[in-house]
Amino acid sequence: MRAIEVSGLKKSFKWKGNAIKAVDNVYFSVEEGEIFGLLGQNGAGKSTIINILAGTLEADEGDIRILGKNPKEEHEYVRQKMNVASAYFGLPEQLTLYENLIVYAKIYNVKRPKERVMHLLELFQLMDIKDKMTSRISSGERTRLNLCKALINRPKIILLDEATVGLDPDIASLTRKVIKTYCKQENASILFTSHYMYEVEELCDKIGFLKTGKLIKIDTAENLKKLIKKQVIKLSFAQPYKEIRQLVKDKKLNVIHIEDNAIHFEVMLGEQYLHQLIHDLYKNNIKIADIHIEKPTLNDIFIKIARDEI
Amino acid sequence: MGFKFYRVNALLLKYWFITKNKLDRIFDMIYWPVIQILIWGFIVIFVEDISESNVKSWLLGAVIMWTFLWKASQDLAVYILEDHWSRSLYNVFSTPLQNSEIIVSVLIFSFLRGLATLIITVPLTWILYSYNFFTIDIFYLVIFAILLVLFGWVLGLIVAALVYTFGQRIQVLAWSVSVLIQPFSCVFYPLSSLPKWAQYIAFYIPTTHVFESMRALVNGQPINMLNISIAFITSIALLIITTWLFVKSIGKAKQKGLFTRYD
Repeated sequence: MRAIEVSGLKKSFKWKGNAIKAVDNVYFSVEEGEIFGLLGQNGAGKSTIINILAGTLEADEGDIRILGKNPKEEHEYVRQKMNVASAYFGLPEQLTLYENLIVYAKIYNVKRPKERVMHLLELFQLMDIKDKMTSRISSGERTRLNLCKALINRPKIILLDEATVGLDPDIASLTRKVIKTYCKQENASILFTSHYMYEVEELCDKIGFLKTGKLIKIDTAENLKKLIKKQVIKLSFAQPYKEIRQLVKDKKLNVIHIEDNAIHFEVMLGEQYLHQLIHDLYKNNIKIADIHIEKPTLNDIFIKIARDEI
Repeated sequence: MGFKFYRVNALLLKYWFITKNKLDRIFDMIYWPVIQILIWGFIVIFVEDISESNVKSWLLGAVIMWTFLWKASQDLAVYILEDHWSRSLYNVFSTPLQNSEIIVSVLIFSFLRGLATLIITVPLTWILYSYNFFTIDIFYLVIFAILLVLFGWVLGLIVAALVYTFGQRIQVLAWSVSVLIQPFSCVFYPLSSLPKWAQYIAFYIPTTHVFESMRALVNGQPINMLNISIAFITSIALLIITTWLFVKSIGKAKQKGLFTRYD
């Protein structure tokens, strides 16, 4: 069974008398146990989709199935199996971390709520500040508190809207580990948005690119990266060589940067340039100090899609 | 779509945590009622010297009962606003909570806060002015309390519905709506003292009949039970309408994206 199935989803907002399309006829699905990343520029429609699925925003059109059920008809069942964490929304400021989590544990009727709350506080390293007012914690701690809330009911589906923002590298790495482990253990599905590409690449099994409300590409990170056919090779030499420029001219390389002691050039993926070039350099007695091959990243894909270059 | 008491209990627990942790919420439960009692108590002392009527009984009784209504209406709206202020409505409406559970929890909590003010104001008037609130027949006191809390909830739900429709810019109503009703509720003066046009409005406000009846009791006159019955039916009808409006406003807020705004 699919965890999330979205078909023909549409949502517009009125702004100064005009209807602005925030989500425009979007179709996608998330399998059980899958982590699905939604990427796109600011205002592309990622949060709007998450908000609709979270039940806090009403869609204009479209059909949503959560674990095979219609969330409007099976509100209680669906919401009980889901949870959400967003960087933009918090928990009551005048409650302590522990109090906030115990309230949500009770809303979800969690068995042994105190144990569950303590376990999550421990997991996200918040135990020392559990009795601190939420209004007095840092943004990183707030992010972790939201994640604790998102896991409180052992959900089958988690919606994470930029939910890892503001975490230091160490805690961010821990958080990614926790999310991955949880997904594996509980066979849970996650719909994930983030502006940290490395995070999306590390976590997501599948990625969907949104542009002005339209979902324009869905694939794995590996396949998406293949959309850019070129890679950049950077060679540094042990000392400056005047003959480099002539050699490059003869080879008809697509040079993007050249100095007497370094050269950066583009080659198509899969082309066998490097072996021949190194051979020629060796023949000319040019000593290579360093070779660096820059493959396309998800970040490059993001920029290319944003600029309509793909 | 089942109503679950454990979810109501969870919300009550949240409201309790807010009350105990936030000085403002303790303050507005004690400070204003005490100030009201002090001011009106001194007025009573002054008026008693120049008047022969039983001013103390109906004036201090009226203050105690008005404070009870005022707390029931204001606190309902304020506890809804608390989630607005902390931008946590998003998290509230993504849970299995039903609209009915949210309504029942705020009704119960605002009633409990109203009761808490009674616990403060009743002994205070006894200590400061030797006024025994319970000289009014307990049967009628219960009827008056029911009518007042029903109408307090009506006012609170109207404000809450407006807050869900128009956002925080409307929040000032939480503190002012009961004051708007007060001139027509005949809290401190009889219905007959109002100008004719105002009497028409006042007659249809349920609280008018509570204060009119209380004055009648204090003066040893019979209570107009027909008016009390009309007030009761009006309150129930208004409560049903405002509950419907509140539920509608939640739907409207979800359509317009009010729960997902960052401001």
